[in-house]
Amino acid sequence: MVAPAETDPRTSAGRASSQLDLDMSALIERSAWLRKELFRMVMRTKKGHIPSSFSCAEILIALFYGGILRYQKGRPSDPLRDRIIVSKGHAAMALYPILADLGFVPAAELENFTRKDCLLRMYADPSIPGIDSISGSLGHGLGIGAGMALAAKQDGRDQRAFVIVGDGECYEGSVWESAVFAGHQRLDNLVGIVDRNRMAIMGPTENLLQLGSLEDKFRSFGWETVSINGHSYREILDVLERIGETGGRPLAIIANTVKGKGISFMENKSEWHNRMPDAAHQEQAWRDLEINSITN
Amino acid sequence: MAGSGNQLDHQLTMAAKNKLMRDVLIEEVFRQAQRNRNILFMSADLGAQALDDFREKLPAQFVYPGICEQNMIDVAAGLAKSGKTVFTYAMASFITARCFEQLKCSLAAMQQPVTVISVGVGLGYDDAGPTHYTTEDIACMRTLSGIEIWTPSDEESTLEITRLCCERPALRYLRLERPALPAIYQGTFADNLEAGFCEISTGQDVCIVSSGYMLHRALQVQQELQKAGVDAGVVDLFRIKPLNSAALLATLNGYSKIVTLEEQVLAGGFGSAICEVLMDEDAQLPVLRLGLPDRYFFENGGRNHVLEKYGLGVPQLTERIREFVRKPVPFSDSDSLERSTVVAL
Repeated sequence: MVAPAETDPRTSAGRASSQLDLDMSALIERSAWLRKELFRMVMRTKKGHIPSSFSCAEILIALFYGGILRYQKGRPSDPLRDRIIVSKGHAAMALYPILADLGFVPAAELENFTRKDCLLRMYADPSIPGIDSISGSLGHGLGIGAGMALAAKQDGRDQRAFVIVGDGECYEGSVWESAVFAGHQRLDNLVGIVDRNRMAIMGPTENLLQLGSLEDKFRSFGWETVSINGHSYREILDVLERIGETGGRPLAIIANTVKGKGISFMENKSEWHNRMPDAAHQEQAWRDLEINSITN
Repeated sequence: MAGSGNQLDHQLTMAAKNKLMRDVLIEEVFRQAQRNRNILFMSADLGAQALDDFREKLPAQFVYPGICEQNMIDVAAGLAKSGKTVFTYAMASFITARCFEQLKCSLAAMQQPVTVISVGVGLGYDDAGPTHYTTEDIACMRTLSGIEIWTPSDEESTLEITRLCCERPALRYLRLERPALPAIYQGTFADNLEAGFCEISTGQDVCIVSSGYMLHRALQVQQELQKAGVDAGVVDLFRIKPLNSAALLATLNGYSKIVTLEEQVLAGGFGSAICEVLMDEDAQLPVLRLGLPDRYFFENGGRNHVLEKYGLGVPQLTERIREFVRKPVPFSDSDSLERSTVVAL
């Protein structure tokens, strides 16, 4: 990556913290931290979607703490901040502990997730500082992100848009409308990350309605595509370094993940999509969360 | 009976020398886009003469989304959220119901100031049938919170509304006619823009409220009614949302009976919106809602033929309004608890 000019307070601040966090063990610790924070959030009000959030935890941590996203702590409205859209709306809540940590939203709000009249709701929208798009209905984020990436290019801003899309979301035709558009427009400042956990609410995607090779699909629409282990910081960061080096193509990262990653009984079990653990399950979950399953 | 319909056809033929609404709009957006690089125009594969010039001279400000209304609206939301003034343009039925969820979530719920332009509202695409006829767009679009809905009726109103969209961007839905329409305003539209409606002519017996293509028909019906001894006023309600309730009510209260005329199904549309205001404000005015019957149209013969066949030809409208005016008012007693009577086809 090209080192930013020291005179730019935004990037230099971002880099200063990222240099610490680039240490792999710090990122791995973040994995345990985010999952515990999310589990606590959900258990307080028994609302939210744990497995969807857990499958993209490393992706989000790598973006925010791995020196990829450009932002200034405490300044969510910075017009030069890189855009991030968690288009798979069930997992938008996974951003909340991070936004609190960055000082975008008050940390106390995490206690109030989904509580009456409080800021942090089940699905996110731009009334929450640091949230760039509405989510909850699938298939919109990639198009909105493409619009943001196009605007940045037109205005000559070095700004990127990152969109996390679910693989189940890829059933929505509008995802592919956006893929065609971004490929043609050569939006190399747009990064689409597919959280390929191979699980929809009703079961495994490949049994229900085969999605097949998402790599081939995006590639055929003019995207640079890379398939990685979406729980490996080494692999995630390795591919994110390629942003802007794709010969003008937008970058699609097929991140192979495990839905419910980190809680043994939830992993790859579609029935836990929206189910709340009872006392015994909670005990098991806490034991699992103490053993960080992320290793690199 | 055929005479009056033909007369309208003749007027429309004469109006063909007028500019198409879409060309008026695009020429103005082009003019403003030349000095404002933030203005972008997206067309989901619907052309226009004026658009050729725009594409050639400002290629960076024309964004082609493909025949792809859903993605067009999502991309427009992203562009608008990044500070762009975006115009999205397509055939009426495809830029409304087709991408309704994108309009709801990405534009309305996120309050993005995008202009959504539809061409060929109502039965504008002659002979095309239910896929192209847009007979429910008012009902559909007015449920979107925070959107403004505008229906110009001639070149001048199209131009003034376009200027508003360029100069004061907001989430707006513009309903354009496919054919050119004769002039209604003579330099007077701008003065009425803020009000959202204009009492084009006053009358004693009944007020016909309409807009767009049907406004021209209302004016024809008014002339026919005059011959039959009925003195009708005509109101152009060119902004159906937000409705300027207080001022509209003040105008309508000058009449004892109200007719609403639209080229839409009656469920939830133009007439419904007016009835809602009258009911909410406790205005005890009888209303006759005139519009299309609750069905789809698979018919050859053109727009006027379909309208005449289903009771919206000039002669039929004249007769139906005459009958409505003749009927005694059901609640002339001010203490009566009865409220407005809605008579539908």
